[in-house]
Amino acid sequence: MKIVRSFAAWLIALVLVAGMALATQGVGSSAQARVHHLESLVRCPSCQDLSVAQSNATASVALRHEIVRAVQRGESDTKILTSIESVYGPAILLSPATSGLGVLLWLVPAVGVVVFIGALWRLRRKSRL
Amino acid sequence: MAVWIGRLGVYLCFLSAVAGVIDLGVARRRRTAGHARLFSWLILLGIVVAVIDMQVALVTHNFSLAYVAENNATFTPLLYCITGMWSALEGSLLLWVLLLSGLVVGVVHYYRRQGDDAVVQWAELVLFVVVGFFTLIMAGPADPFLHNPAHVLQGAGPNALLQDNPLVATHPPLLYLGFVGFSVPFAFAVAMLITGRVQETWPLEQRRWTVLAWGALSLGIVLGAWWSYQVLGWGGFWGWDPVENAALLPWLTATAYIHSVIVQDRRGLFRVWNLSLAIATFALTVLGTFFTRSGVLQSVHSFSSSTLGPLLIGFFALVVLVGVGLLAWRGDRLRSVVGVETPFSREGMFVANNILFVGFAIVVLLGTVFPLLYQAINGGQVTVGTPYFAAVAAPLSVALLVLMAIAPLASWRRASAAVLWERLRFSAWSGLVVIVALMVSGVHHLTALAAIFFATVAAGSALRTLRGVVRAARRRGGWEAAIGAPSTAGMVVHLGIVILAVGIVISTSYAQRHEVTLATHQTTVVDGQSIRFAGFAHTSDALRSQTLLKVYVDGHLLTPAVTTYNGRSGQTVGTPAIDSNLLRDVYLTFDAVGGGDTTSGAQVQNNLPAGSVVLGVTTEPLLAWLWLGGVIVGVGSALTMVRRRHGEETA
Amino acid sequence: MKRPVLVAALVALVVLSAFSVLLATRHPVQGASAVPSPLLGHEAPAINGTLLAQSTTPATSVAVTPGANVLTGLRGKTVVVNFWSSWCGPCKAEAPELSTFAWDERQQPVVVLGVLFNDNVSAATSFANHYGSLYNSIVDAGGVDANRYGVTSPPTTYVISPRGQVAAELVGPTSVAQLRAVVQRVSQ
Repeated sequence: MKIVRSFAAWLIALVLVAGMALATQGVGSSAQARVHHLESLVRCPSCQDLSVAQSNATASVALRHEIVRAVQRGESDTKILTSIESVYGPAILLSPATSGLGVLLWLVPAVGVVVFIGALWRLRRKSRL
Repeated sequence: MAVWIGRLGVYLCFLSAVAGVIDLGVARRRRTAGHARLFSWLILLGIVVAVIDMQVALVTHNFSLAYVAENNATFTPLLYCITGMWSALEGSLLLWVLLLSGLVVGVVHYYRRQGDDAVVQWAELVLFVVVGFFTLIMAGPADPFLHNPAHVLQGAGPNALLQDNPLVATHPPLLYLGFVGFSVPFAFAVAMLITGRVQETWPLEQRRWTVLAWGALSLGIVLGAWWSYQVLGWGGFWGWDPVENAALLPWLTATAYIHSVIVQDRRGLFRVWNLSLAIATFALTVLGTFFTRSGVLQSVHSFSSSTLGPLLIGFFALVVLVGVGLLAWRGDRLRSVVGVETPFSREGMFVANNILFVGFAIVVLLGTVFPLLYQAINGGQVTVGTPYFAAVAAPLSVALLVLMAIAPLASWRRASAAVLWERLRFSAWSGLVVIVALMVSGVHHLTALAAIFFATVAAGSALRTLRGVVRAARRRGGWEAAIGAPSTAGMVVHLGIVILAVGIVISTSYAQRHEVTLATHQTTVVDGQSIRFAGFAHTSDALRSQTLLKVYVDGHLLTPAVTTYNGRSGQTVGTPAIDSNLLRDVYLTFDAVGGGDTTSGAQVQNNLPAGSVVLGVTTEPLLAWLWLGGVIVGVGSALTMVRRRHGEETA
Repeated sequence: MKRPVLVAALVALVVLSAFSVLLATRHPVQGASAVPSPLLGHEAPAINGTLLAQSTTPATSVAVTPGANVLTGLRGKTVVVNFWSSWCGPCKAEAPELSTFAWDERQQPVVVLGVLFNDNVSAATSFANHYGSLYNSIVDAGGVDANRYGVTSPPTTYVISPRGQVAAELVGPTSVAQLRAVVQRVSQ
């Protein structure tokens, strides 16, 4: 009984802390946050794996300025990414579109989660490996 | 001359491997002991001759070898002459085979009294085949001893980024040691499956060595990250680059393996898992060499593209076919009498552990080859970069931290919730205190908070286990017994991982990048630090010329620079300067110079007055924890050697 | 219970074989490849900049007014726009090829125009003089032109048709033969 009580006390504390954490999540759509987010999704044109946020190459800086201007013009995230894609091609985005073959990239992890839970569930009935 | 001594060495190595395979095959037929020792020494002799020949050629700048002309120059310092052997594709194979051959000699010597045992013979045969394959590549398409027909007086010198930092001497050897080390569990897994003797304890006896190989691999990866961080100039340490992923993939399955073997040791379970993981780790290592050396995926770290692709994929396919085939053939012999009774037990958590690590590897592999798959099906190009990998790695890592927190305290067979909570209570409360403290000091990122919460609890579990172990052992046998106790090494490694994880989470979530423009003697404040630009300095010697910036960060002098290396290619690279302490790293790069100053080699911005510079200033909190954590992981793995051998344990 | 094991093994074998075949049939990236640029068939983006000073006289001069689009004065000709830098290895191999091609086509309505990518003026001038470049180059301050064309790394060459549309994109070092073939196709 004492164990249950001590666990319950901790659980309440956890809920409170979690609540505090969730409450302090900033509203993420400030212009600066949007720019930062978009910059992390666009690949630096002359680099191998870096985003424009991470590289200070000329092409990268130019693209960063372009993103800032586009955000200031009030364009939506999708429109900005699409227009950059229309000049550089789809390989400029660091995460492929989720339509078409890109679905695979998210489907596999999702299936993985199902397999994980399923496997652990099956253990409740005697497993033999 | 140098060409033929080297080639002779490689041919000797290859022929001895082939002869060894034939000899063992014959010995197996006749049920005799064979001559594995002889052939293993011949293999080692061959590769040592080749390596010495290459090293002498590099140190004496013998440009009659094409490899030396491409990777060495008369003014290359001694250290970079030696490391030049693994600065490019052909030479790196020399290092690989050298380490592999040394290991083979060690294995054959260790099992010398069981030289007529079928499992040992098959394992040695497999190892000889692996040596034979890699030497075949060197004898054929990737010949390090190609003659240079031109009479050049000067070589190109190594790639600028490979002579910029002494870590080039540590990262590849340690990494290769790790890769090569896992060919032994693979060889024995195949041997056990072929002979059908899958109930035996070979992997358990080899546990100490496998953990050591894992430690070398982990340290190799961490050092690789540290090296990239110091040299590449973007302030990061991991780009989810195909070559980086190539090293991560076998590490993931290897980590699953060393954990899974614990369950086989304790309760005889997980045989199929362990054999599969051993085979998968080796297969992923071969796949990794394909990514690095085939030129099929573009990477900052890859060697020049070559015709090795089909050969390496062929070997990968062979390894996989043999592995899966053998597992299917012997599948019925692999089932154990007892099983896992409930997921809520130490065994159950190890199952979860295995699935998470294998899942992690599958997802990283998918992301890495997706561009190729897309190109094959749709014909276009896509990039899969950090946003994808980070999105899938984050929940997986948090889940693994949860396991690290709970599993060391869970009982075998069936964990009691009450007992578990009693053991976790203190750490659980500590975790809450830590994240409240973090929230108060401004950390709000949810994933970061979750990760650090579980990391704290995991640290608590590790410390608690260590405390129990130390107390019990000291009563019995003093400090050596304490260090040699079963969980000590593992828990120390867990502590290292926790520190590493916290470092990764905080530095990536809260890194700040700025570009500041400063005139000479001007000061500015960035992230609470004063930055003062004090002027230029120039150095030049036979190897390179540098333009340095004297920058004072809170009074400490840092000199970010632009360096031009002499040599045929005349490469110019940025040389970052880092001020590091346990709380934060300040990372400075010389991004551009103003006015018409064209001598430095740096980017020129004509709209700035002469004498002013553009500095990249990146502040990353807790970045040094990564390297600290890595060192602790290395130390912990080494501690495993102090353990008593399997079979001598009384517990 | 042997069947599930066999099935699992077969599935694994099929997946891994397909995987191996996929990887074995990929070709290493090398040479100048024609890339399916999103700009193909569209009006060529503007090119602004200042003329790079060089000691050699180009085969065909290009009039450059700072701030104005260079391409408007070149309508009716096939323009080979080459983004290059002095620090890029393949550009060194390509420079003599471009000069040879420019000289060969000097009587034809074909113009070679270089655009400097992410480089400083003096290094570029040394490069142009060293290779005796027989074509003009534009200094692209701030990478604006490169941004418009979607250049990811030098050397990248765009061939613009006489009607002012982007007709081809070649990434990597080109050669006289390749340029001749592409320009012939475009000029028809």
